[in-house]
Amino acid sequence: MQVRQVVTLLALGCLVLGGMTSVVATEDNDFAEFEDFDTDDEFDQPITASTPTIGDSKSAQPVETPEKQKIAEPVIGKSDDFKTDDDDGIVEDDDNEFEHFQDEEEFEGFDAGDNKDIPIDQKTSEPKLTVAKIPMHFRTHWDSYWMEMLMLAGLLAYFSNFFAGKTKNARLAQLWFNTHKGLLDDNFVLVGDDGKQENENPGLMKESESLYTLWCSGRTCCEGMLVELKMIKRQDLVALISGLIRPQQDQVHIKVEMTRGVMDSFVFCVGSRKTITKVFKEYADLNKYCSLVSKPEDRYKVPAGFSVLSEIPEATSAMLEARIITALNKYQRYIDYIHISDQFSGPIQQEDANNLKQPETKCMLMAGFNMPKSVDMEAIKPLLILIFYLMERLKVYRMSKEGKSKAEKNRLRVEEEFLKSTHAARAEAAAQRREDKRKQEKERVLAEDDPEKQRRWELKEQKRQAKKKAPKMKRLAVKSL
Amino acid sequence: MSAQVDPRRKEKVNRYKAPQNQGQSGASSEDLMPDYMNILGMIFSMCGLMMKLKWCAWFALYCSCISFASSRVSDDAKQVLSSFMLSVSAVVMSYLQNPAPMTPPWAPTA
Repeated sequence: MQVRQVVTLLALGCLVLGGMTSVVATEDNDFAEFEDFDTDDEFDQPITASTPTIGDSKSAQPVETPEKQKIAEPVIGKSDDFKTDDDDGIVEDDDNEFEHFQDEEEFEGFDAGDNKDIPIDQKTSEPKLTVAKIPMHFRTHWDSYWMEMLMLAGLLAYFSNFFAGKTKNARLAQLWFNTHKGLLDDNFVLVGDDGKQENENPGLMKESESLYTLWCSGRTCCEGMLVELKMIKRQDLVALISGLIRPQQDQVHIKVEMTRGVMDSFVFCVGSRKTITKVFKEYADLNKYCSLVSKPEDRYKVPAGFSVLSEIPEATSAMLEARIITALNKYQRYIDYIHISDQFSGPIQQEDANNLKQPETKCMLMAGFNMPKSVDMEAIKPLLILIFYLMERLKVYRMSKEGKSKAEKNRLRVEEEFLKSTHAARAEAAAQRREDKRKQEKERVLAEDDPEKQRRWELKEQKRQAKKKAPKMKRLAVKSL
Repeated sequence: MSAQVDPRRKEKVNRYKAPQNQGQSGASSEDLMPDYMNILGMIFSMCGLMMKLKWCAWFALYCSCISFASSRVSDDAKQVLSSFMLSVSAVVMSYLQNPAPMTPPWAPTA
């Protein structure tokens, strides 16, 4: 986040810089524009008034003078010196108004040839520009801005979709809540909590426009239940369009944190094949403890298209008993996955050699359900009942001795693997600690003004070093034999 | 299927703890779209400002819109706001510098 703020600051700095340069640029451009307009004026001018070179000083109107001088400005030269000379010219008397044009000294540094060229240029280009009259200004041609119009229309469409999608998601979430509220109230003391000191608005919490959460707590055998309503991102037009290519569904994710010790230790997961392959790679507990059951349809009679991840076969078959199988068959299209684990530690962490602590584990019962496409929320109400049933089942189910010892063995194996993987790091950390201790001691001894003590410490140190080396030599000797 | 006895326990009530929950389980599955769009919007804004590419500035505006639409409630509103400001100013600046209509990136440069 901090990095982003720094980037933002940088960006704003650049923006200021950009703004400054743009001002300079616009000034340049403005000048160029005026130049153009002036030349146009200049060409228009001869039609109404006589050309400055031909016209005598008496016929010239005093009002026109500044104009004429302006006309001469860009054509004759862009030099600032000349301009200031011109400004001076305004103040001069009418009579010698154009005298400076004849004055050779006024045009020092200028080619005399240039002066002569001007009237010729004007004469030749005169007819062409009277036809053009005013340059075709692009601002009047809105047609040329079709891309901008398209962009603005896109923005408008995006925002109208944003409001429409947002309200639809809110309505769906509220509908789910209203449908399940009775059941939740029967099972939990606390339904809907925003985590604030005073529970300000019990009910659904909005995490984003497409994610609503509900926290329930105060039930036997569990610490709490978090319901996440993950909607299609209806508020985001781009996500909606990408949804046309890869269809998505509104989902309900239920995460129940079981009280430690209530359930036996095993890891198990059942769900649609696609989800199972995904979570198998993603979650640490499934990855470490489970294996994919081959032919689960024959073995556990799960509906076709479902996969099973199992650690201890006996626990798996106990979980997939007749009632659950019936529910799986009946609500196959709504059930995405059911995941039971006593070792849940979230997604696989990246291999970090410096991480010396095993991730904290929790007893979890998790499930993901698809919401019905129609607004018929009653259809998925039995799924919540299924969750409560599973909780009760986990509470009463006890594995056999063999199963328990197997689970124990598995947990030990995983721990050993972890310790092995961090062995090098742990050894390094221990060595570092020893080194630090020795350094501290040395500093302490050196700080004291007792040479005798220092000498003694050095002797001790030497002895220690020798001792450290000695066994190595011995070992080498054995090896050489 | 439902339990016969009342399963409710008053003494077992735990209050909701948002940060732990998010840190524990939602770290990887969390939606990273708003962050990506924020960064992308910033890059496009800079391109629009520095290289005077109008379509870049417009894209930046779209990116910040997407970032806004999919941002979390708990997210910092300043992030979204600054991204919006940057992209809007990119558009405004590019049209102030050169009010000519936009040339799409595929069109030959005049």
